[in-house]
Amino acid sequence: MVIVLSRQITPGVLTDPLGPRFFPTALGAAILLCGLLLTVAELLFRGEPALPAPLSDSSPEGEEDAGPFSPSRFVGAIAATAFYVAAFEPLGYLLATPPYIAVILLIHGGAKKRALLIAPFLSTIALYVTFRFGLLIPVPDGPLEGLLPW
Amino acid sequence: MSFIEQLAAGFASALDGYGILIMAAGVTWGIIGGAIPGISGAVAMALALPFTYGLDAPTALVMLAGVWAGANYGGSIPAILMRMPGTPASAACLFDGYELARQGRAAKALGISLICGTIGGLISILVLIALVLPLGEIVVRFGSPEVCALALFGLTLIAGLSGPSFLKGIASGFFGLLLTTVGLDTLTGSMRFTFGSADLLTGIDTISVMIGLFAVSEMFFLIAHPARPSGTLVGTASTEFPTLRELREVGRATLVGTIVGLVVGIMPGAGATASSFVAYNEARRWSKRPELFGKGSLEGVAAPETANNAVQGGDLVPTLALGIPGSNSAAIILAALILHGIMPGPFLLTKNPELVYTLFAGLIIVNLLMIPVGILILRLTLIAMKLDPPVLIASLLSLIVIGTYAGDLFVLNPIQALVFGVIGYGMRIWGFSAAATVLGIVLGMLAESELRRSLIISHGDWTIFITRPISATLIFLTFCVLVYPVLMTVLRHWRSRRVPAAPAAK
Repeated sequence: MVIVLSRQITPGVLTDPLGPRFFPTALGAAILLCGLLLTVAELLFRGEPALPAPLSDSSPEGEEDAGPFSPSRFVGAIAATAFYVAAFEPLGYLLATPPYIAVILLIHGGAKKRALLIAPFLSTIALYVTFRFGLLIPVPDGPLEGLLPW
Repeated sequence: MSFIEQLAAGFASALDGYGILIMAAGVTWGIIGGAIPGISGAVAMALALPFTYGLDAPTALVMLAGVWAGANYGGSIPAILMRMPGTPASAACLFDGYELARQGRAAKALGISLICGTIGGLISILVLIALVLPLGEIVVRFGSPEVCALALFGLTLIAGLSGPSFLKGIASGFFGLLLTTVGLDTLTGSMRFTFGSADLLTGIDTISVMIGLFAVSEMFFLIAHPARPSGTLVGTASTEFPTLRELREVGRATLVGTIVGLVVGIMPGAGATASSFVAYNEARRWSKRPELFGKGSLEGVAAPETANNAVQGGDLVPTLALGIPGSNSAAIILAALILHGIMPGPFLLTKNPELVYTLFAGLIIVNLLMIPVGILILRLTLIAMKLDPPVLIASLLSLIVIGTYAGDLFVLNPIQALVFGVIGYGMRIWGFSAAATVLGIVLGMLAESELRRSLIISHGDWTIFITRPISATLIFLTFCVLVYPVLMTVLRHWRSRRVPAAPAAK
């Protein structure tokens, strides 16, 4: 797909020996080649461990303590975050954030009842104050704009 | 200006205005973030990026340097007190750290970790300064072909080292390079992969992508794979400095840790985790009392903690001299430069010397600040460690959304962070390297433009890359790095087939 899309790039007025298509096309081809090699390697060396990196700092953290994968939690967290991002500007930060935090707490589970009631509001206010008054960043207020004293 | 004058100007710039407070805030967040399992140094730095929007470039850099230094120490707190490393790099410290805590010497273990970590960090910064300046003078002679070859070599080396599979690492790096092609082509003005959207003309937002790949993916991982209950706290919430006799006792281990940390740090892609384990083993080998290792040896805490702090200086050698980030944390330092309109690369030292000297000064200050801040906020760190994980995750996700939005007040940024969070999660699950992708993004900006500039200079003649000695050497090294793992895999496969055949022949 990358290669096909790269071929559709229209060259600009100015030109250079390679042009704007070359790099993405070459990268698309390189990724395709890696994919093919990975498939071949999987078929040839099935069951054998991959060649380990000689010295690697990329071992994901806490992997050994991680519990089993929960698809519902994963999909729920993505959906909730997507809704939150979509509602962020129209509803404003103060109205959109507490329900989002509460939903994430419910999806994750294990939060104490008191935390479920207090944390969404405390966390929202703390972040709002930090960004709005600490970093002077105009956080969207949504329908509350004009109603707030600042 | 002489070296001393430039360094003095660096100190003045780092301490300008609220500089010291901002650095202390960086160290504080670093220690707390590092102590919370799930938030590694790089994640803590990624989460701190939004707070640098309002700062100038030097202040932003020294703040992030503070987070980095703080996280190196912070990770050892739960390792010592709860047998639960806060960061992967602090795992080597728990063997003896937790044993000391069980013997009622937790405060001493924390003191050793803090003091030896600071010593390791400070020595590594001095070595960094000593190495970067001469390297910078060599790099000045680089032209476009050399810079392009350097970017290729750096990417190959890092992609090869930073993932569980070489091929997946390389593919991840290419993916990062590909991401940099989105937007308006700077040489010809052509639109690439914008899909008709004016919002994508300026390309993808590097900061949002980094936050997505490092931080959002981590939060999704913590939600989708709820961790088992954490360990229980052993020991008291205090820090006890080592006596002179104890410092002499751990001197050899501290030296070993510093050397290992520096050497491993200079190798791009290796990093703090590898260095702390190597340092632990080497310290045991060189120790006068190796039998105490694993039973509560002070040397067993000193060596890995010194090493993982010494990595910082080593990591920054290729980052500042060549523009090749040595680790995720170093890549975030480069991202902060991009955020403030400064193009990272091999000419950083020559084009922005004041910035580099401010970073040198800031690194020295934050390492010194670690001692008072580390002692003062220990109790606060323990409270943070006990926070309800779901509350922490939900609050951090909200911080990420507001933080990425705050950069340009543009809702596309949190969308990108979310998308790359999902991609980052997938990469982690399927063994691809998010770190290589990020490094591809950082190096991709250089690689394409310098490749095309080289060919403009040579009128389309590709031999320009192999007729100039430095670029030819770098291309040869790139080829070696690419071929080596393939040869090793084939050789290992061939050997594994021969070994079972031997008894049959008998």
